[in-house]
Amino acid sequence: MKPPKFRYLRPDSLEGVLVALAAHGDEAKPLAGGQSLIPAMNFRLAQPSILVDLELVSELQTLSRRDGELRVGAMVRQRQAERSAEVRAACPLLADALPWIGHIQNRNRGTIGGSIAHADPAAELPAVAVALDATLEVSSTRGSRSVPAATFFEGPFTTAVDADEILTGVRFPVAQGARAACLEVAPRHGDFAVVGVAASVRFASGGTLVEDVGLAAFGVGAAPVRLTEAEAQVRGVELTGEVCELAGAASAEDVEDPTADIHATSDYRRRALTELVRRALSF
Amino acid sequence: MRYVGSRVGRTEDGPLLAGRAQYIADVTLPGIVEAAFVRSTLAHARITSIGVDEARAEPSVLDVVTAGNLAGVTRYPHLVPWMKDVDSFPLARDRVRYVGMPVAAVVADDRYAAEDGAALVIVDYDELPVLVSVDDALADDAPRLYDEWPDNKLMDLPVTEPEVDRVFAEHDVVRTTFRMQRQSPSPMETRGIVADHQNGRLTVWASTQSPYILRTTLSMMLGLRESDIRVIVPSVGGGFGCKLHQYPEDLVVPWLSMRLGRPVRWIEDRAEHLMTSIHAREQRMDVEAAYDRSGRIVALRGNVATNVGSGEVFIPGTSTTLVSQGCLTGAYDIPVTEVSAACVVTNKTPSGAYRGFGSPEAIFAMERTVDKVARLAGVNPRDTRRAMLPAVGDGAFVTPSGGRLGLGSHRQAFDRAVELGDKALEAARALYSGDPRIRVGVGFASFVEPTGPSYYGTTGFWQSYDSALVRIQPDGSALVGIGVQAIGQGIQSTTAAIAADTLGILIDDISVICGDTDLSPYGLGAWGGRGAIVTSGSVVKAAEIVATKAKLIAAGLLEANPDDIVITDGKLHVRGSDEPSVTMRDVAIAAYVRTELLPEGVDPGLEATATYEPPGIDTEPDEHGRMNVAAAWSNASHAAVVKVDITTGTIEVVDYVVVHDCGTVINPQIVEGQTTGGVAQGIAGALYEHVVYDEAGQPLSASFMDYIVPTSLEIPPMTIEHLETPSATTTLGVKGVGESGTIGPAAAIGNAVSDALAEFHVDIVETPITPSSVLAAIHAAGAAS
Repeated sequence: MKPPKFRYLRPDSLEGVLVALAAHGDEAKPLAGGQSLIPAMNFRLAQPSILVDLELVSELQTLSRRDGELRVGAMVRQRQAERSAEVRAACPLLADALPWIGHIQNRNRGTIGGSIAHADPAAELPAVAVALDATLEVSSTRGSRSVPAATFFEGPFTTAVDADEILTGVRFPVAQGARAACLEVAPRHGDFAVVGVAASVRFASGGTLVEDVGLAAFGVGAAPVRLTEAEAQVRGVELTGEVCELAGAASAEDVEDPTADIHATSDYRRRALTELVRRALSF
Repeated sequence: MRYVGSRVGRTEDGPLLAGRAQYIADVTLPGIVEAAFVRSTLAHARITSIGVDEARAEPSVLDVVTAGNLAGVTRYPHLVPWMKDVDSFPLARDRVRYVGMPVAAVVADDRYAAEDGAALVIVDYDELPVLVSVDDALADDAPRLYDEWPDNKLMDLPVTEPEVDRVFAEHDVVRTTFRMQRQSPSPMETRGIVADHQNGRLTVWASTQSPYILRTTLSMMLGLRESDIRVIVPSVGGGFGCKLHQYPEDLVVPWLSMRLGRPVRWIEDRAEHLMTSIHAREQRMDVEAAYDRSGRIVALRGNVATNVGSGEVFIPGTSTTLVSQGCLTGAYDIPVTEVSAACVVTNKTPSGAYRGFGSPEAIFAMERTVDKVARLAGVNPRDTRRAMLPAVGDGAFVTPSGGRLGLGSHRQAFDRAVELGDKALEAARALYSGDPRIRVGVGFASFVEPTGPSYYGTTGFWQSYDSALVRIQPDGSALVGIGVQAIGQGIQSTTAAIAADTLGILIDDISVICGDTDLSPYGLGAWGGRGAIVTSGSVVKAAEIVATKAKLIAAGLLEANPDDIVITDGKLHVRGSDEPSVTMRDVAIAAYVRTELLPEGVDPGLEATATYEPPGIDTEPDEHGRMNVAAAWSNASHAAVVKVDITTGTIEVVDYVVVHDCGTVINPQIVEGQTTGGVAQGIAGALYEHVVYDEAGQPLSASFMDYIVPTSLEIPPMTIEHLETPSATTTLGVKGVGESGTIGPAAAIGNAVSDALAEFHVDIVETPITPSSVLAAIHAAGAAS
């Protein structure tokens, strides 16, 4: 469990990072907290010859709210976001999801962008991004672009980010006053989920009818799965116990062939998801 | 008695808690180099070639060796007559039988370079058919793992008792196949070995539970005299059985030091531990029980088949199966039994010793059977258990396999566990009754632990004794050396308490050493719940010899009769009067320095070494094939209260009760620590930990992301109560307790989950019990009804 030799770069500007990636392409890998990449390197599952540490890039570490969006820099620590009153107010689902990630020690090092760019199919933050229709900002020396969460996650550990690009930040639409829940079943507290759901619901102003809903499952497929059938049960109606049950049942249709692995069968994931969706909506 | 029985704090914890203890990975020497191992990537294959040239050409690589290079190394010895010969060698010669088997060793300046070198070794294989399960390996047309064997049974001990058929014909019989899963002991500290050969002498630092047995093995296989080998054991961060075995690396690393003439070290990493340190517990148990209308089991037939992996491990891993076979019926009085057992080889990592050692498996099958029988007979399993347990004061009970349990508190312990368990169940019911998705249940398990056993059944070589050295130092304090190895169980503290009481001096004046074959006395190490039994036996003996001599010297100094001298708090005086007195220091000065003060005929010095062979262990079976293999049998009853969510299948152990009896309790705090840790490990096996292989024999749970070791967050609060029924035969009346906690949880939790889900007819027959398996069982029952 020792990595092969690699070069270590630590540019102090975004431009420095992008130049390094442009120069080395596939050979290089950005390091954004290291909670997944370093173990993968120790197992020699990842063998980058150049590691570009984003640690010193201050422009990736800002958290700001502007034009109805909460912008979280890629290098904002998970723990920092978890403790932020601004995150809690603007984006309750993100605040609810963060405590599920590993343990405090992991979140002290791990970053928002690192988790999203790593795209573990059982991770919480990619599902949060999908449920909230977040926008992912990606940059390279060729320029910057924005990618909607719906098309960002392409498969297990695979995203729309090209080899010379990095994820610089995530823009979450402000969902002030929304009700949110992140629920999962995991073998132990702090583990990646066997199955989980991220849910955000906004009610029509002053009323009880659901105006907008975002539901995404994780741990069930190659990437987060938007639960459109379940959402359809909820949108525009009152969130009664019966509606929650219906939405839960409908989520089974959103996940055609859930993952089967050593922790749970495909059937288990489908059944448990229906219950998690029901509970997530039962505020 | 001042210290024995009281909560004197653990003496060894300071450095452990302060991060100052030295473990194997902290051992470094001038000029040391590191080894890494090239390991089989296939579960079963012939090696056609090993290409080492590229690795050897690396400037940072000092050496690359394969089996053919190991000149002077002999194969692992075959010492156990009742198992087949496994012809194995520290590096694979021409065939690999499990993923992870060492094929070559690479030495470099550091571990990074050694692993880079290992990645350059090219091994070509011809794949062979892979056997992963007992069922695969026992199939009529199964390929043989060892060409020279007639089948894939490493050990086969069939038993025939015709009386069973007769009783079965007259009663209802319930038949169940139980399975326990493969687990990894996973101590916090992995294995490791550092070797330094110079001036014709080999010094080995090892994280081991048995330094002397490692020394003997090194001597046998490397062709060195035992006296030319010194084994030193630094602080050990847990053993749990896996550090009893003498692994390939333990031989290859010392040999590399001999070859290179410089110190070499290898520290096992976690991936290696999960893949190549012994596994345990994978066992199929077919149990058939005939019962009467009251729910009593009147005859039992069992068939135990252990998946021992490739079997290439020394000391062998077969005797957990013997314990499963011999202890299947626990302390229950079942008139007619027939229990057969076999060890079956497959293409998995060899299995071996793991805390509980065959008992958690057996007790899971037995206690689930007791509950099933009660359910079928329509009676309360509390009543049937109670009726089948030995009555109070019945010290004459002998188990079907010949275990002479001696005096215990089997029924009292069970009654108390029922009282506490039912109370905890009521509390859980009150808490969760409002939630339609939650079910709660309680489960019980009652069992005995064979402690202080003979090692003959495991090794075919060593027996059961141990030694102690007691030396009064010139300042009047005492150095106590023991052959049992400290591995975190607290043996230094209990030894100090026993020595202090016997010598009559303060516990702070005792220091305890172990784990250095040049300094500590000969012994067999830490295993089998033997530490308390053999150290109390040998330490008391040696300390009494020393105390007698101290009294003789004191009598001379005080001009009194030696028979009248007593020792209190380090002072020696005439019985009945505090003054005049001399201190142990005064006596020690006379013994070591002012020898002119010694009474006539008394030699200088004040020390003794004594050995203790626990009494009452049979060395051969009687005419019925029965034998008592343990010095003392402790007993315990467990109760688990669980909460199951029927929509997600999640299981939470909300309360756990242990009522146990290990005879005289030397230190309640240490017994509670052993029990708490043991129960945690038992819960791990019941609900979480599972070494999984795919059909090609590739391990799928190769890191702590997938091998789920529970943390403190998953372990419930526990109630632990002590009962004390001293053994009539051991010194001080102690019985062992090291493994007891591990034995009950799979059984108690299996019963509790089955109880909670009784309305769905869920019947737990396999571990681990996971949310996925529970939900599947609930839905299967729903579909069936």
